[in-house]
Amino acid sequence: MASKIIDLDHVCLLAALRLTEKEKEELAPQLEKIVEWVRQIAQVDLSPTEEAAYPAVDFPAPMRADVVQSSFGVEEALSNAPERDKEFFKVPQVIEGKE
Amino acid sequence: MIPDSAVRLAHLIRTGELRAQEVVEYFLHRIKEKDEQLRAFITVCEKEALAQAQALDKGAPARQGLLAGVPVAVKDNIVTRGIRTTCASRILENFYPPYEATVVEKLKRAGAIIIGKTNLDEFAMGSSTENSAFFPTRNPWNLDCVPGGSSGGSAAAVAAREVPLALGSDTGGSVRQPAAFCGLVGLKPTYGRVSRYGLVAFASSLDQIGPLTRSVEDCALLTQVIAGQDHRDSTTAAQPVPDYLTELAQPLTSLRIGLISGELLEGIDPEVRTAFERIINYLEKEGAQFEEIEFSSWKIALPCYYVIAPSEASSNLARYDGVRYGFRDQKVNQLRAMYEKTRTKGFGPEVKRRIILGTFALSAGYYEAYYGQATRARHLIAREFSSALKKVDFILTPTTPEPAFRFGAKADPLAMYLSDIFTVTANLAGVPAISIPVGMTKEGLPIGLQIIGDFFQESQLFRLAFLLEKKVEFRKEYNKII
Repeated sequence: MASKIIDLDHVCLLAALRLTEKEKEELAPQLEKIVEWVRQIAQVDLSPTEEAAYPAVDFPAPMRADVVQSSFGVEEALSNAPERDKEFFKVPQVIEGKE
Repeated sequence: MIPDSAVRLAHLIRTGELRAQEVVEYFLHRIKEKDEQLRAFITVCEKEALAQAQALDKGAPARQGLLAGVPVAVKDNIVTRGIRTTCASRILENFYPPYEATVVEKLKRAGAIIIGKTNLDEFAMGSSTENSAFFPTRNPWNLDCVPGGSSGGSAAAVAAREVPLALGSDTGGSVRQPAAFCGLVGLKPTYGRVSRYGLVAFASSLDQIGPLTRSVEDCALLTQVIAGQDHRDSTTAAQPVPDYLTELAQPLTSLRIGLISGELLEGIDPEVRTAFERIINYLEKEGAQFEEIEFSSWKIALPCYYVIAPSEASSNLARYDGVRYGFRDQKVNQLRAMYEKTRTKGFGPEVKRRIILGTFALSAGYYEAYYGQATRARHLIAREFSSALKKVDFILTPTTPEPAFRFGAKADPLAMYLSDIFTVTANLAGVPAISIPVGMTKEGLPIGLQIIGDFFQESQLFRLAFLLEKKVEFRKEYNKII
């Protein structure tokens, strides 16, 4: 069943995921059900509220002094790289072409 | 003889009555004995733990610390320098962090010994550890049941006495729910109380690191060590850290308790309900004043959470692209295809489900209807909490609607999400909440009680929890776990 609400192909493109047809078939009804359920938020009157992206913890969050501190060395930063070339992360071809 | 209490254990090491090495060896042996069955650990750091212990025994300054020589297990979504940190995901299967989480630094400075990294639902997304890409963890009280999640490995390890203390992380209940399922004390601190630096981000506005322990005293001790402002996490509060351990024993000056009115308790497991009512009756006798709280937003808290958390996750997990660290599908020679194949192979089904859900909720044309609405609902929840906590000192609920369930019992993702009904509100509002064991079902599974308090009132939570702990006397139950 294709999802009526979610355009899975489009969302997967945005999320950089590739699903097989079988996975899509399995996922579509699950997502449909979750999205339907999520819609109950609209049942409550939210007109007197504003958007709150973070908890309303009331505390001072002072900035630290603007002092230069040491950070990762190149070798440390590259230590988990799947592929490297000298001091750089190496990636496959960037310009679209034949795979 | 190794004492059960971490407070006592640290004392014996400080005074030289016990050596850190013998303590570590004892727990390593215990892990070898138990973990084949439980599978609480992804990585056991035998070599590193023994080296740390030997350094302490030779008189390293940390031997005078609050956690001198006490082994601690760390959930595997908290980075440990040079020790593999996987988030129970294939995408980070071979990730060796080049830096240390602030909480781990603080643990080591206090003399604690990192004994291993515990299993979780992949990227902390789940309520049973069944979503671990490697293996599920079992509940030590009943091996056919889940230990809860996502900090299921940490909870199982502490309950089975493989380790005295553990750290978990709680985004929607991931410390408190496994604490309830495994008969432990589990705290989600106030948002901003504990540094998130080095906690692999799931939903940054909700995540907090919290302790899992077998006693309220140990929970207070561990909280004291990990709490405090950190210049590497700008959301940490410049609020002084009280001496929780000393404050714990002081009497409660006010005991006004809020109970959520309406249908919230309908449909929950009868044994959970009975245990909850027993506590209410006891507190009534102790002179507590009760107030019914109108909480119109509680019923939309779960759907609100399941928009906000996946939205943030979809953004946070965009970093796993196979370029700088983690798994890369090497079979493709074009960048975009490499991203897609890496992520598709690297993430498990629940993680993909949430990334897709979050990407959808944030996408053009849907943002306002989903993410926008959810953040407004969050505002309402925070407001209702703030007005409730002006009238009462605590809000009490069961931690979970039911005790630990069996493996496979919640194959439908939505059914799994409903396990979090009592816990997500504290994350959305940012207030602290603790789960403590208050009874056992006839089948021998623990039941948890949740106490929610006001911002930075962890001391108050510990005091009430301490009072109830003495009444319930749950401690003797641990002897049933061999």
